[in-house]
Amino acid sequence: MYSFTKPKSKPLFKEDTKLWLVFYFISVFLFVSFALFLLLKAYFYNKDTQKLNDNSLILKQKIIKLNTQKELIFLQKALYENVHVKNSVIKTSIKNLLDLIPDPITLDKFLLSKNKLIIYGITPTKDVYNMLMLPPLESIFESTKTYFYQLPNGWYKFKSINIIKADNENAYN
Amino acid sequence: MKMPTINLKKLKLPKIKVYGIDVIKNFLFFFFYIILILIIIATILAPSVKLFKKTKKEYFLAKNQFETIQKQYQKTSQELNSLKDKNQKIINALTRKFDINNFKLFAKEYMKIKSIKKLKTEPYKEKFIKTSYLIEANIKSPKDFYDFIDASKNYKNLIRIYFPFNFVKNDKDINLTFKIDVYNLKNKLNAEEKAH
Repeated sequence: MYSFTKPKSKPLFKEDTKLWLVFYFISVFLFVSFALFLLLKAYFYNKDTQKLNDNSLILKQKIIKLNTQKELIFLQKALYENVHVKNSVIKTSIKNLLDLIPDPITLDKFLLSKNKLIIYGITPTKDVYNMLMLPPLESIFESTKTYFYQLPNGWYKFKSINIIKADNENAYN
Repeated sequence: MKMPTINLKKLKLPKIKVYGIDVIKNFLFFFFYIILILIIIATILAPSVKLFKKTKKEYFLAKNQFETIQKQYQKTSQELNSLKDKNQKIINALTRKFDINNFKLFAKEYMKIKSIKKLKTEPYKEKFIKTSYLIEANIKSPKDFYDFIDASKNYKNLIRIYFPFNFVKNDKDINLTFKIDVYNLKNKLNAEEKAH
C-alpha cells in the first residue's frame, strides 16, 4: 500500500493527558511531603516534650530537696534560739534564787537540780531564816523542809530541801 | 430470558472539542483530581495536621510547666542561699564537732575547769543529736558563771547549760558542777565519724 503522508509515531498519552498526569504527580508529591513534614515536626515536638517533662521532674525533685534543706535550717534556727533562751532562763533562775539569800545568812552549798533545790548554810537565828528566807522559798517551791543544827557559837547550820512546782519544772525542759 | 450485556469497547465518550481541547476528557481529569485530593486530605493530611496540633499543644504546655517549675526552682534556690548566708553561724555551730580543749580555752576567762566528763550521746528531735558533758570547775563568784552563760551565745558550738548546778563554797572560791548539752546535726556528725 502506498500512502501520500509519512507515518507519524503515535504517543502513548496525548499532550493534555501528560499535563494532567504531571499535575497529579506534583500535587500528590506536595501533599505527601507536607504531611511528612508535619509528622516529622510532631515527632520532634514529642521528643522535646518528653525532654521537658523529664527536666520538670528532675527540677521538682530538686525543689523538694531544697525545701527539705530550708526546713532543716529553720529547725536549726529554732533550736539555736530555743537553747539560748533556755540558757538565759537558767541564768535568771539561778541569779534570782541566789539573790533570795539575805545578808545575815551565808551559804555553804547550793545544789539545784531540775525539780529540787537543796541549800546548806549558816543562819544567826532560826527567826532570821524563817522571816527573811523561808517566805520567798515557799512562794516558789511546792514544798519546803528545813532542818537546823545548832553550832557551838549559838548560830544554826541549816539544810533546806525545796521541791519545785510542776509548771516551773516544765519551763526548763 | 437473556440478560442485557454491555460492550465496553463500544462505550466511548462523546468528543466535544472547543478550540481543539477535549472538554469532556479534561472535565473528567479535573473531577478525578478533586476526588484524589479529597482522599489524600482525608487519609494522610488531616491525621497529620491533627497529630501535629496535638503534639504542638502538648509541647507548649510542657514548656510552660517547665518554665514555671524552673522559676520556682530558682526562687527556692535563692531563698535557700539567702537563708544559708543569714544563718551561717547557726549552721556552723550545729555541724562543727565539739572540741574539749577549745571549750576549756573559751571558758578559761570565766572559770577554771578541773574536768570535763562525757556522759552520753542520744538522738534529739529526729534531726539532731545531743551529747552531754559533766563539768567540774572553780569560779570566784556566781557572776563569773552568769558571764559564762552570756558568753556561751557566741561560742562556736551550740551548748545548753543544764541541770544539775552544784555550788559548793570552799576556802578561796566556789566549786561548781554543771552539765552542758552540745547539739549537732545528726547526719553531719555521722558523716564525720565515718570519715575518721
